[in-house]
Amino acid sequence: MSAFAAVATALGVADASIRERRPGELTLEVEARTLPDLADRVSAGLGGRLVSLFASDERSSLGRFVVHHVWSLAKERAFLHLAAPIDPATPTFPSIAAKYPAANWFEREIMDFFGLAPEGHPNLSRVALHDDWPDGAWPLRKDFPDDRVVPRLSGDFHPFRPVTGEGVFQVPVGPVHAGIIEPGHFRFGVAGEPILYLQLRLFYVHKGTEKRFERLPWRHGISLAESISGDTTVGHALAWAHAIERLANVEPPPRARSLRVVMLELERLYNHIADIGGVATDVAFTVAASRAQTLREGLARLQDAHFGTRLMRGVVAVGGLKRDLPAGGEDALRVHLEGFKKEFEELLTLLTSAGSFTDRVDATGVLTRQAALDLGIVGMAARASGVDTDFRRDHPHDGYEGLRFDVPVEEGGDVRARLMVRAREVEQSLSIIRQVLDAMPARSDTPLVASLPDRLPPGGSALGWAEAWRGPCSHWVATDERGEISRVKINDPSFQNWPGIIQAAPGNIIPDFPVINKSFNFSYSGNDR
Amino acid sequence: MLRIIAKSLRTGVLTEVQPFGTQPSFGFPVIDFSRCVACDECARACPTGAISTATPEPGRKTVTLSYAACIQCRDCVSACPEKAVEVSHDVEVAAYTREQLARTASFDVEPSSGRGAFARVEAHTGPSFQESADRLRERIHGRLGRSLHVRQVDAGSCNGCELEIAATTNPLYDLERFGVHIVASPRHADLLLVTGPVTRNMEVALRRTYEATPEPRIVVAVGACGCSGGIFGEATYASIGGVDRVLPVDVYIPGCPPRPQAILNGLLVAMGIREARLGSVAASK
Repeated sequence: MSAFAAVATALGVADASIRERRPGELTLEVEARTLPDLADRVSAGLGGRLVSLFASDERSSLGRFVVHHVWSLAKERAFLHLAAPIDPATPTFPSIAAKYPAANWFEREIMDFFGLAPEGHPNLSRVALHDDWPDGAWPLRKDFPDDRVVPRLSGDFHPFRPVTGEGVFQVPVGPVHAGIIEPGHFRFGVAGEPILYLQLRLFYVHKGTEKRFERLPWRHGISLAESISGDTTVGHALAWAHAIERLANVEPPPRARSLRVVMLELERLYNHIADIGGVATDVAFTVAASRAQTLREGLARLQDAHFGTRLMRGVVAVGGLKRDLPAGGEDALRVHLEGFKKEFEELLTLLTSAGSFTDRVDATGVLTRQAALDLGIVGMAARASGVDTDFRRDHPHDGYEGLRFDVPVEEGGDVRARLMVRAREVEQSLSIIRQVLDAMPARSDTPLVASLPDRLPPGGSALGWAEAWRGPCSHWVATDERGEISRVKINDPSFQNWPGIIQAAPGNIIPDFPVINKSFNFSYSGNDR
Repeated sequence: MLRIIAKSLRTGVLTEVQPFGTQPSFGFPVIDFSRCVACDECARACPTGAISTATPEPGRKTVTLSYAACIQCRDCVSACPEKAVEVSHDVEVAAYTREQLARTASFDVEPSSGRGAFARVEAHTGPSFQESADRLRERIHGRLGRSLHVRQVDAGSCNGCELEIAATTNPLYDLERFGVHIVASPRHADLLLVTGPVTRNMEVALRRTYEATPEPRIVVAVGACGCSGGIFGEATYASIGGVDRVLPVDVYIPGCPPRPQAILNGLLVAMGIREARLGSVAASK
């Protein structure tokens, strides 16, 4: 059965109402009141997993808001995009969060940024806007200018859940943390050392990135995409580039597509090795930590030598890449990664054979498979909790189609499982890079970037995605009647995954929290944007 | 245990004796003003406004290049039709004021073609490098000696700067050998190493962190966003902008992100051990 027929049957709609405007992206306009029923059908009938849920403001052109549900249909190798118009006179939409907790933060963010209320949502408190932001100012509405500075409300009054009981107390941590990490506030309810529950307060580094995209000329968007989350430069740059390429119907040259795979896998390598070292640091295993830091520095320098910047910034272009490897680059990459592999295997043996290390990571910070499924956890964190998902396999992009690689899945859901998934992904990444280098299209005189139109198609939209090291990054980009960017929805895997740590922390002691946190290593900037 | 010791002996000391002076393929753009015709192409290509042009009066045009906002994307280099934008290999850039990071050149515009002819490099406003260095030394008054305790504050960063700050602590750079120690609390700190753009939601926390830091406290702004708001801009609904919009800044370390040796360099500038400069190739010729 074709993807069309399967989707139409499951949703109970006519084939003809579903449109495939871009390859692998099925679009269907629906009535808002049907969204909960459709969520059931997509979830139960098609095994859909929620990718994104967001709003757009089309009042000036079509007199409406639109609420979008985007689902991943791995079996059909397609995304299903349900678009539901909302009448501005009744600014509400039906919530699916009670049944699908994956939608929880997404729907509250729509409430914060667009002033559309999710009806039936079990928790209508703010998630993105802080308490000193007044009611009635919705920054992602089109009539809210991005340079409007809104005065602060006075007071310091975030309503944390109170703790009661003898010997039970709260430990506030952050937003300024003790290490060199990003800001966020954790509020632990504890009885002695064990954590009873954890509350999160994020969005300290909300930079108005989605609104910023609407202001910048589209050709400058790639630089902003690279700064969504500093450790996922390539992942977000690719998601952005893919969205624009699909919108403009442009295909990057084969060599650029291959090199993009090399870059995305290098990014996976340097982050995984850094986080493995980070866990070693947090359990005070300094020898292992130093070795991991050294391996990571080696990769940063390798990237510098081959792509011109240590974190591979300024390399991905819409339509391809801005520059090629230096002469002999392929061989130098191969040689370095051979040495890296040997060192990495030694490091892994060192860690897994040290009882003082395994004691701290085994059965620590368990995120159960059921919780991961319910919360819609994605990427590496999901795979460590037994959820088999990977956009590189399920929705191949760049040069991934045709490559041979496994998607490592671990069942434990604890810190050890996340370490082992990372370790096995390191092996897979090395194998992927080798395969790509072996089959690399030869250099030619033609540029590594396809030619682009001066102007994007007006009134269009497209989804771009890439499975980065933490999980899938996706960008939905829409243009207005002049072909300028009118809306960008950024999805960083951290936004979907942060609620997972609320489930993983209770029952552990506070000194284990940094270890748990590092094993996930969610991005604050990617979450807050 | 024996295996660990054997491996460590085989590995030896990895710390680089001289972390400075390496020549990466790209530091910052440098405009050769004698070849520049003030055509606007580089300013149009620049995503952050690090390069800008203005017409202060008819027949005269200015071109300004500011490292404060430069994200080192190199789009200006490829955009210049006159090949007047060159590449510097020097990344150990630091300054004491935002103005010191910028160079402005004036051009006489030929009315028929609109082409500019280079007239002169304008003096930047505010104190010179030497005056700033003296002022900082006076304020710190030798009270810190050769030891510096640093509290890092992410006031809105994408985390790129944090990755490179963390890299300065790895075995190859090993910033502790310079007497620099990263501490867990602002109450123990001499210096705040602040990344930006300062967001609306971090402004209060940043101010409180500053108030918790004992005098004489030094503030160092890191990265294009910390120096100027960078790609996120200033005075938007969510981004206040450069650190100096909120706190008095003593040293600016530009870059996106600045490389580890640039961060080390900036810290040593704040300690008065190294001199601040824009690089071996000045932005003016």
